[in-house]
Amino acid sequence: MATSSPLLSAEGLTKRYGDTLALDALDLSIAPGEVYCLLGANGAGKSTTINCFLDFVRPDGGVAKIGGQVVAQHPLETKKRLAYIPETVMLYGNLSGLENLEYFATLATGARPATEELVAHLITAGLRDDQIRQRVGGYSKGMRQKVGIAIALAKRADVLLLDEPTSGLDPKASNEFHRLLGLLRERGAAVLMATHDLFRAKESGTRIGIMKAGRKVAELRADEIGHADLEKLYLTHMHD
Amino acid sequence: MIREIARKEFRELTRDGRFRLSAGIVGGLLLVASLAGFTAWREQAAQRDAAQNSMQALWFGQPAKNPHSAAHYGLWAFKPQLPLSFIDRGVDPYVGTASWLEAHRQNEFRFRPAMDATAAQRFGDWTAAAVLQHLVPLLIIVLAFGAFAGERERGTLRQLASLGVPTRALMTGKALGVAAALALLLIPVAVVGSALVLNAMGADGLLRLAAMTAVYLAYFGVVLGATLLVSAKARTARAALVVLLAAWAVNGIVAPRLAADVARMAHPTPTAREFTAEVQTALANGIDGHSPASARGKTLEDSLLKAYNVAKVEELPFNFNGFAMQRGEEHGNEVFDHYFDELWSTYAAQDRSQLLGAVASPLIAVRFLSMGIAGTDAAQHRAFATSAENYRRELNKKMNDAIAENAGAGQAFTYQADETLWRSLEPFTYEAPGLGSVWRTHLVSAVVLLLWMGLVAVLTRRSTSLAVV
Repeated sequence: MATSSPLLSAEGLTKRYGDTLALDALDLSIAPGEVYCLLGANGAGKSTTINCFLDFVRPDGGVAKIGGQVVAQHPLETKKRLAYIPETVMLYGNLSGLENLEYFATLATGARPATEELVAHLITAGLRDDQIRQRVGGYSKGMRQKVGIAIALAKRADVLLLDEPTSGLDPKASNEFHRLLGLLRERGAAVLMATHDLFRAKESGTRIGIMKAGRKVAELRADEIGHADLEKLYLTHMHD
Repeated sequence: MIREIARKEFRELTRDGRFRLSAGIVGGLLLVASLAGFTAWREQAAQRDAAQNSMQALWFGQPAKNPHSAAHYGLWAFKPQLPLSFIDRGVDPYVGTASWLEAHRQNEFRFRPAMDATAAQRFGDWTAAAVLQHLVPLLIIVLAFGAFAGERERGTLRQLASLGVPTRALMTGKALGVAAALALLLIPVAVVGSALVLNAMGADGLLRLAAMTAVYLAYFGVVLGATLLVSAKARTARAALVVLLAAWAVNGIVAPRLAADVARMAHPTPTAREFTAEVQTALANGIDGHSPASARGKTLEDSLLKAYNVAKVEELPFNFNGFAMQRGEEHGNEVFDHYFDELWSTYAAQDRSQLLGAVASPLIAVRFLSMGIAGTDAAQHRAFATSAENYRRELNKKMNDAIAENAGAGQAFTYQADETLWRSLEPFTYEAPGLGSVWRTHLVSAVVLLLWMGLVAVLTRRSTSLAVV
């Protein structure tokens, strides 16, 4: 898998906020079928990395590429194939889960998908039949994340950018989320996930990167390391 | 894609209780103001017709009397109001709608409701125009201030932006969605308005209503576009709302007041007292101030005696007093033309300099157009005043000529005429200027409104990137 050309890549990605370096010449390369977990303390540059891939943040140096296209030069095209799931998927409270999905899917693909198809995606993402038509205002965080997955499914996204998608979820919801992530990975998606959850990173990640002060200080394959060793390695890097 | 964005925006708005409440209030006010305005217009039109008819009957019914007494008896001219004046009463409450036409003087208009109004009523006169000019823009702001800023605050803008939707499509879609929600409220009112106007005025009324609709739609478009632009730039919905409410106050209150005050200072008008005094002085001493009435009378007498080669006025082939009175009228007319032209030009100059304020307030231009189309602007008031004044001059000439031709020497004020003379004066009629002349009068206002539309359109089209955080 590592031999196929990367879907996501960062080359010398650098971002400055005033005097602080949020990203310091970061290199990343993620191939289809890979789940790359970015670990690191708050402020290490994980979200900034994701924001660069989304063109929410313009890098001061280096490039972020999706499918070989430079994000800053092709902001609309590169977004066509990606799905973004932040810590809480923000939706329109006055609309139902199905209406939200319909809206986002239509805007993403340019055509309104059939309702049955959208319902199927929501069911696949783990929502119950009776929840689909309720207004999102009453949804739990877990249900919102499921709508986020359904958007990715409807969009047929092969690049997933996840920014701490499971923090604050109860273990069962978190487990369900990662089961779905596995499903998308098997379909050939390249996944970049920022997380604080070492356990989940080891369980669902294929590769793990540890960031500190805008730099990647370690990178390893998830199957090369045990849970205890990963925690030890992480804490070693976090000590100054 | 744009349709989908508009549909979602519309769906969200119409599900929002705040929209339903505020739209209900504004729609209700608009409907009530229209219906009440229309009823008042219809009553006034009937009263006006009745008054004009009874005035005519009184004139015709005069017993045999001296024509000059008849000229002093005079009659009233009432300004007919177009049906659309129920939407916008324009300057009418301030300048009045009736004038007494009599011998020797051009009277000012009477029956100005503003004269009897208390200070509080200045804000209480809710015509449909006031709702359209002030409340609908406020409603648009309330509906659309959060279009982008609110989504930015709630985080949904990030989700939207991650989909790869062009900003321009978002802008257009949201504008259409809000417009559709507004249409829910405006279309019923427009239908009721059309029915009322059609009923009262026929096709020409519909044309005017269409023109007025176009002007207000353009105005709402400017307000909506500007609201979306501010919302797209503002970091929080609250900041957008503060900026927009300030702009609303500048557009609706501050700039128009300031422009009016500046215009008054740049082109001061005399007080009614000063004006009357000036006119009186000029009537007595001539416009140049050096030919008093007695001297003018003497010159006239001398030149007539010489021209007809007679020794005294009694020997002239016509009644000298009748002739002299008409000459006096003509001199008066010159004086009135001079001073009233000056006054009207000052008002026109004030209007023109007020338009400078349209840089900060498109409402100023909209107000002129709205009044013009409703037939209640200063230009159409002037057209009526001129028409009434011409009628007054015709009346006086008829009376004076009758004396000059028919009265024996020295019998100018004892000679009596009868109904034949009264009936020789055609009843007063007035045809309001057409829509074409309205556009010509308010060409600059129309251009200003178009410029505002162009500016907002260019700015919205140019906003290609949205800050999502």
